Amino acid sequence: MNTLLPAIGFGLVTASILAVAGVGFTLQFGVTNILNLAYGDIMTAAAFVAYLVTSAGVSVWLALVAGAAFGGVFSVVLNRALYTPFVRHGTRLFGMIIVTISVSLIVQNGLQAIFGASFFSLNMPRPAPIHVAGMVFTTVQFAIIGIAVAAMLLVHLLLRYTKLGKAMRATASDPELARNCGIATDRVIDLAWALSGTLCGLAGVILVMNVTAFTDTTGSQFLIPVVAVAVLGGIGQPYGAMLGALIIGIASEVAAAVISPDYKNVVAFVILVIVLLARPQGILSEIATRKEVAA
Amino acid sequence: MPTSSDRPVPAGTPDAQAAGQPMVAAPPGAPAAGPPQRPPAVLRLDDVAAGYGAAPIVSGVSISVGSGEVVSVIGPNGAGKSTLLKTVTGRLPVMAGTITFGDRDVTNMRGNRLARMGLGFVPQTRDVFDTLTVAENLEMGGYLLSKSQIAARVDTVLSVFPALAGMQSRTASKLSGGERKMLAMARVLMLEPSVLVLDEPTSNLSPDLSRSVLRDQVRRLADAGTAVLLVEQKAFEALGVSDWAYILVAGRVEIAGPAEDILARPDIREVFLGRSSNADEAAGG
Ligand SMILES: Nc1ncnc2c1ncn2[C@@H]1O[C@H](COP(=O)(O)OP(=O)(O)OP(=O)(O)O)[C@@H](O)[C@H]1O
Ligand SMILES: [Mg+2]
Repeated sequence: MNTLLPAIGFGLVTASILAVAGVGFTLQFGVTNILNLAYGDIMTAAAFVAYLVTSAGVSVWLALVAGAAFGGVFSVVLNRALYTPFVRHGTRLFGMIIVTISVSLIVQNGLQAIFGASFFSLNMPRPAPIHVAGMVFTTVQFAIIGIAVAAMLLVHLLLRYTKLGKAMRATASDPELARNCGIATDRVIDLAWALSGTLCGLAGVILVMNVTAFTDTTGSQFLIPVVAVAVLGGIGQPYGAMLGALIIGIASEVAAAVISPDYKNVVAFVILVIVLLARPQGILSEIATRKEVAA
Repeated sequence: MPTSSDRPVPAGTPDAQAAGQPMVAAPPGAPAAGPPQRPPAVLRLDDVAAGYGAAPIVSGVSISVGSGEVVSVIGPNGAGKSTLLKTVTGRLPVMAGTITFGDRDVTNMRGNRLARMGLGFVPQTRDVFDTLTVAENLEMGGYLLSKSQIAARVDTVLSVFPALAGMQSRTASKLSGGERKMLAMARVLMLEPSVLVLDEPTSNLSPDLSRSVLRDQVRRLADAGTAVLLVEQKAFEALGVSDWAYILVAGRVEIAGPAEDILARPDIREVFLGRSSNADEAAGG
């Protein structure tokens, strides 16, 4: 009990970061069918944007906005300038994965070239501890949970209740039928990259707000649990990713506390494997993987 | 193909080329009629070739649909009917030839721009958004309309398909085959298209509902001025509501003519519709 409750608290924080990152990752994949393995590195790049902003003495909350905006803009440009031309020239699923891995390496090495192989941390006030029901959070962790809940709520409202959100889901379901309904899928796809990139940037900044130090590989290391969350939830399913984030976030922190921190990722992946054995399509998936890439 | 004189003129013969299009020859012994009157074309394909890879699946196809007309394209499985409709609706690139909508050249125009011009399409498969609810599917059907227009159109199309009214919050993937087809029709009618392209809109529907879709809706829409391009497996039913028909075989239009004339020709029925006149009479058309 003594270790369990605080571990669940940590788990909630990890789950929050995973949820923001996982929903952004899965949303974009659902609409475009491009498995963007550069996602983790864009998170890192957004973290460096936040680092620059806080180093200039600006508040970390504005740095959060800057990182999110960077992620959104960078992702739209990346898709328009690089991914779309590849798709137009006939590159398909596996070819596109290689392209995204190349981007991942370029971004990661570019960051290292610019900032150097060193440890960085955001310049922000020392957070104060808050006790809630036997769990201890820092003010920053509390804020991370709040940001994640708000982001998930906004994504939910957008997808369920706005015409644009429904058009995004329609495009994810069948881009050709969407076009025959008059939906300008190009613009919907831009929007999907913008939304996904914004969540990616946000996730990158809250990830490094929660650690003492980060490097140019922090985001790419985080990508593996993000992909796990997306796959667990049924790839392309934002609600599945939210659920997947809660499961993997809490289970891995509890395992770390109860067994040993070494088992953090082991437990997450054991869960993933067991769930996928029972439900290969993921927890919530209704989208079959029959779709072509779209850009 | 046999070439006895009582056969319809196949495409590619000098006669057919002189006429610009393969036409149905007058039935033997029938009084010679003047050229059939057709309304001016709203949608016209001229010498169109299209396909999925380098080799075209359909080629040299020239067909047209006028407003107020139901035009059927019939032919055996794999003839290229769906390929042709995918080309017309902006899903497949046009490799050769031109497509005209009204007086605009729409060759290789994307589906969303065609939809804006008033072209509606029900594909043969994947005809609804699986992950969206019935209500959301209708809303996407009316994507180009304003919120208040959508509400009014939903009421109208639900009165045409009352069975859908009770399942508006159901996810489309959980509909039966027939319910799904109804939703696909309802979805396309949301925009009140001026050109309606339908790929087997009655598959999975009961015989009664099929007849009602073809007679009460497709025919009625055309009578109200819509140009309808129809592909149907139920060739006799389709010809029964059509003004004009094209028979597509192996990617080429083999025969074109007024639907009644094609229906009246037992030889065409045997050769192209795969059914003898006796069998059809037994089935009762
Ligand atoms: N996506 C595709 N890629 C490659 N070839 C295809 C594709 N879809 C259809 N074909 C081929 O094109 C040809 C024509 O197919 P099409 O679907 O147009 O036939 P159809 O006349 O609609 O037949 P049916 O009556 O069975 O629906 C077939 O030989 C088919 O195998
Ligand atoms: Mg077909």
